Amino acid sequence: MKLKQLFKTTQIYVLIILIVYCVLVSVVSPQFATLENMFDIVRNISVSLIFAMGVMLVLISDGIDVSFAIVAVFSAYAAILVMKSTGINNLLFAFVMASAVGALLGLFNALIIHLFQIPTFIATLGTQTMFIGLLACTLGTTTIKTPQMPTCLVEFGATKIFTIVDESGKTFGLYIYIIPTALIVGFTAFLLYKTKFGRSLVAMGNSKEAARRAGYNLFKTRVILYMLVGIYAAIAGVMYVAQVAWIAPLINNLVGTIELTIIASVVIGGTQLTGGYGTIVGTILGVILMRIFSSTLIFLGLSSSWSDFFLGAVMVICIIITSISRNRTRKKLLIFD
Amino acid sequence: MAEKDKSKVLCARGIVKNFGGVRALKGVDFEVEHSEIHCLCGENGCGKSTLIKVISGVHEADEGTILLNGNSYTKLNVRQSINEGIQVIYQDLSLFSRMTVAENIAINKMVGLDKKIISWKEVRRIAQEQLDRIGVAMNLKSTIEELSISNRQLVAICRALSMDAKILFMDEPTTALTHTEVERLLAIVTNLKEKGMSIVFVSHKLDEVMKIADRVTIFRDGSNAGKLDGKELENKAEAEKKLVYYMTGKDIEYSRYQNHEVKSNKTVLKVKDLTRIPHYEEINLSLQEGEILGITGLLGSGRTEFALSLFGLNKPDSGSIVVEGKEFTPDNPRKAIANGIALVPEERQSQGVFMDRTIEDNIASVALNKISDRFGVVQNKDSAKLAEDTIALWNVKTSGKDALVSQLSGGNQQKVALGRWALVNPRILILDSPTVGVDIGSKSEIYEKIQLLAKKNIGIILISDDIPELLANSNRIAVFNSGKIIKVFDEEEVEKDGVRQEIEEIIAIKVPEKGENAS
Repeated sequence: MKLKQLFKTTQIYVLIILIVYCVLVSVVSPQFATLENMFDIVRNISVSLIFAMGVMLVLISDGIDVSFAIVAVFSAYAAILVMKSTGINNLLFAFVMASAVGALLGLFNALIIHLFQIPTFIATLGTQTMFIGLLACTLGTTTIKTPQMPTCLVEFGATKIFTIVDESGKTFGLYIYIIPTALIVGFTAFLLYKTKFGRSLVAMGNSKEAARRAGYNLFKTRVILYMLVGIYAAIAGVMYVAQVAWIAPLINNLVGTIELTIIASVVIGGTQLTGGYGTIVGTILGVILMRIFSSTLIFLGLSSSWSDFFLGAVMVICIIITSISRNRTRKKLLIFD
Repeated sequence: MAEKDKSKVLCARGIVKNFGGVRALKGVDFEVEHSEIHCLCGENGCGKSTLIKVISGVHEADEGTILLNGNSYTKLNVRQSINEGIQVIYQDLSLFSRMTVAENIAINKMVGLDKKIISWKEVRRIAQEQLDRIGVAMNLKSTIEELSISNRQLVAICRALSMDAKILFMDEPTTALTHTEVERLLAIVTNLKEKGMSIVFVSHKLDEVMKIADRVTIFRDGSNAGKLDGKELENKAEAEKKLVYYMTGKDIEYSRYQNHEVKSNKTVLKVKDLTRIPHYEEINLSLQEGEILGITGLLGSGRTEFALSLFGLNKPDSGSIVVEGKEFTPDNPRKAIANGIALVPEERQSQGVFMDRTIEDNIASVALNKISDRFGVVQNKDSAKLAEDTIALWNVKTSGKDALVSQLSGGNQQKVALGRWALVNPRILILDSPTVGVDIGSKSEIYEKIQLLAKKNIGIILISDDIPELLANSNRIAVFNSGKIIKVFDEEEVEKDGVRQEIEEIIAIKVPEKGENAS
């Protein structure tokens, strides 16, 4: 019975696909299953996972946010400009400053969505374009190359918790990125499962009217949600910039490309596009699957363009599986609407 | 306050509520005593739901006082109302379908306590406590999606109980329940009453009202139309008549449908040994031109499942369907429509009409080939004319063809649904519970139209729970029980006295149920 319950969830299928794929890749290419590669994957996943946490929360509340990538770039770029002009070279300041900008942009999203009752997808599509324009007009889009970057960021991006020297004398290590990422994932899990705020998100995603009748203040919930998502995006943005060690706001591979990939990986993880359901474990699995696809196809001798195809295929398969099982029960109960 | 009011837990006096220029409540009185089941009846728009909203603090009354447990209020807000022990279970139940039973039961209490951190142990404790109170076992970890409608209803009751309800308002709680489920619900409600709770039961179903009510209050047009108490409720037939009179303001007698003038003995539908396990088995029926065949039986007896099969939505395992002499395999609705079969479903709002579209769009949707030119381009003029003609023919009360169907009353929505299917010129028209949620006043109008269609030589299958409705309209009546037709009453038998009782007995025969899902 327990097992049957488990197979109703999407997570289990994602896990199976993930394991099968990893076994396949490690058979074909011995480089894959090395500690070095694993450490690399962990760092690469970090930024996506933080974005995904925010996206998941929004999806659970029955919304879709497509503005998080520009919020990330906007916040990180603003923080770096301030740091350069004031000469403050402090990592904590970078995060706090970026988070403040992210929260402000998130608040703007929340107000637009709530006060005018606009569908979240349309609203954030609009604000995304607005933020892009605002960034270009106010802060500019000058590229900041590695030598001009605040050194604290570049150092942070290269810091390892520990290093290992293997037989051939190569050194590699686990990047510090795992710490902030784990903290944020843990914090999100706490919020979602253990707090009134988290439950109000789930309730709202199930039925806004019922949530209102139960006594939740949906305005408050939305404001907190979108500000939080703005902060997550800002943190991820700073981490991304620190990792690549340069920033060209509208050229870096973020705005206009990663939004749908992240949303797709969250949906693959079982979060319902129609709101009201989503799990941390599922989202983690979805993000891992996406990152592994896009970074390991090369081991199989396929160009990285194939990753889009596989990611899309997995998403379609997961949606088909859940849809079939739901339609089967509905057909049994003769429900047609 | 008068002495006698003290035993009353709720006493609303002279409640007036205006919405803009509309007087929804014109000074109504309503009182509920300690430990009673009080039924509140009236047609749609009579002010029942407005009163519930005033008492639950959602709307503020313009005039009048509400006395709750001895405290008098002229302005009542939601919080105060809840603190006085008022709980409302709306028709939609307000449950969270992807959340667990435990959380659904405890959620209002948890929000009320305003705890920022959730203790799942406490959530489960609160939920279990309420389930124990009504004596029902349920898996706390199931999600609402996985529950039957009746168990969802129980979850909603438990949620109300968790808020220490003293007076529980239930808005049409039995609409979607099967017979056994209704019995269970009524038993639970009666049990709660015996424990000292007061229940206000809003229902359209007269037989249920007769069965459980200690007292009945009837509203009409925002005013008190009448009251029935213990003694008057003893004589059921008499009480039912009074109830209808109070609700509509007139004695309503339906004229019986006669098909002598159109009788042609031409068979339009012949069903032989039709079987679909576990829904129904070995169904044999025939339908003549111009005949209205009544079908009744409990929810789950196979009647609706059988109708869906005819319309291609529930493929039978075996047996044959012959439409006008041609063998017909019902794979999908498109094929059924092509063979002249139309179905007006029971779920009017989700399946029968497009609620958010205009009357014109609704009508045009089934008649696109009538209103488009040879290139398939829709001619707006033709579409408008067709809509106007249909509105006039069916006497739909509306501001015009551009009104949204969702703005119409239940009866008028049904007229649109019937009107558009009549346009397809079906040979066989299946009507599943066409007057559910329709005012008694509009009912007779709908009956007239159904009979008119039959006179145009359409064969009509009328499915209904309402025996008087079937007796007034049908030439023959087939009674389903546990997936089988137990008896078909022919024309002579339908006209006999005491036939209603006989039908009701057959409906209620207990056939051992197989595989009834308990959880």
